[in-house]
Amino acid sequence: MNATPKGLDADYAELAAAQPQDTQAMATETTLLNPRFYTTDFDEMDRVDVTPVRKEWDALLAEMKADPNKGHFKKTVDWTEWDANWDGMEPKLKREFIDFLVSSCTAEFSGCVLYKEMKRRGSNPDICELFSYMSRDEARHAGFINDALREAGVAVNLGFLTKAKKYTYFRPKFIYYATYLSEKIGYARYITIYRHLEANPDQRFHPIFKWFREWCNDEFRHGEAFALLMRTDPKLTNSFANKLWIRFFLTAVYSTMFVRDHQRPEFHKALGVDIEWYDQEVFRKTSTIARQVFPLEIDIDHKRWLPNLRRMRDAFGQMDAGKRKGGIGGWFSHKLGVVKAASAFVALYTIPVIKRDPPKDVRLEPIY
Amino acid sequence: MMAIFRKIAEEVPCTVEVSHRFESLHAHVRFNNGAVVYPGDEVLVHGAPILAAYGELIIEDRQATITRASWLERQWTRATGDFGFMELCEFSFSDEVTL
Repeated sequence: MNATPKGLDADYAELAAAQPQDTQAMATETTLLNPRFYTTDFDEMDRVDVTPVRKEWDALLAEMKADPNKGHFKKTVDWTEWDANWDGMEPKLKREFIDFLVSSCTAEFSGCVLYKEMKRRGSNPDICELFSYMSRDEARHAGFINDALREAGVAVNLGFLTKAKKYTYFRPKFIYYATYLSEKIGYARYITIYRHLEANPDQRFHPIFKWFREWCNDEFRHGEAFALLMRTDPKLTNSFANKLWIRFFLTAVYSTMFVRDHQRPEFHKALGVDIEWYDQEVFRKTSTIARQVFPLEIDIDHKRWLPNLRRMRDAFGQMDAGKRKGGIGGWFSHKLGVVKAASAFVALYTIPVIKRDPPKDVRLEPIY
Repeated sequence: MMAIFRKIAEEVPCTVEVSHRFESLHAHVRFNNGAVVYPGDEVLVHGAPILAAYGELIIEDRQATITRASWLERQWTRATGDFGFMELCEFSFSDEVTL
């Protein structure tokens, strides 16, 4: 039902804390990366014809090929001169910050696996070229985050390859909606933190945040590519059913972000960020950007919006508490949480949307 | 031939590439005979876990078993797989809700 893939597929990408098995690892803790593997309708992807957006497409691909961020992901003095250190970090903050880095790393890594698969299986040269650049960027981002984790004493275990992996399925259009949104919301999240810390440098408790500005331009560019892809077929954004899907994706992604961010109170406190303010700010930026391609926008100022997001958050808390408690009481508590979360989701989904008319020119520049 | 409930396994040679380097963290499997994986199929790469130490790039030829999904499973995966999309978001769920 709602945003979490949990329960829908037992094989969902989790980061299971595993016992260290690698004797070469210096780290005290090992995190097993466990991404999903994907298939899609490759014939449909091969039939994509970018002719209607050829000019913008070629310009974007040329930009990606030039690889403007090639030199960005290096540890400069800005990094090495970090005067605080992991050992001095308050344990709760450290735990949440590591969780933040691990889920960022997983997302980049999953993107890398997905894009690589698209590139390998496709035969459409435009599409294959795009996915090879995106896969390159994601692997680079994952490597950069991994290095930060290594400094914190967390080793990433890539041993998942020798475990049985079930291949899941994404319809091409869902790849467009989901990746478009995840790239654009990723941009909005990184740039919002970056700008906040630019104004409040004393709250920058780790140097990685200094890299967020150029970093998020990669995310922005990836999103642009999907915006162009969606423009190749007007039905993708204009049919009745697809509008409902877009609405679903927006609601699911926004509400998941709200729930997840609230699970990291210390992290946001250390950054000096009020979580509701931050999330609304990210939604606002994402929605504004998404006007380039989506014909509708979620009304995040609606009176039902925040109250139901809070209900959703509390329902997830209850589900988790129930699970931890165990027994019959815990089971009922968990199920009640599921019902509450579902009802909050329905309440959010049915908020009337704002209609938008995407402009003729689809391309945007990162301006925040 | 696809069975409604039955699963069929096939052995295929594959190449695994694991990069645990600063410039790139990635891991991929390629089937050397061009075998194609469909929704719901399961892939198991044989042998010991590939544990690339930091700074290492490992490329190895291995054997893999592709267990083909039954017809029913394939339909199910096609119908529900889409909901896994959330993991692409940087704020996707990890195992624990309360940190």
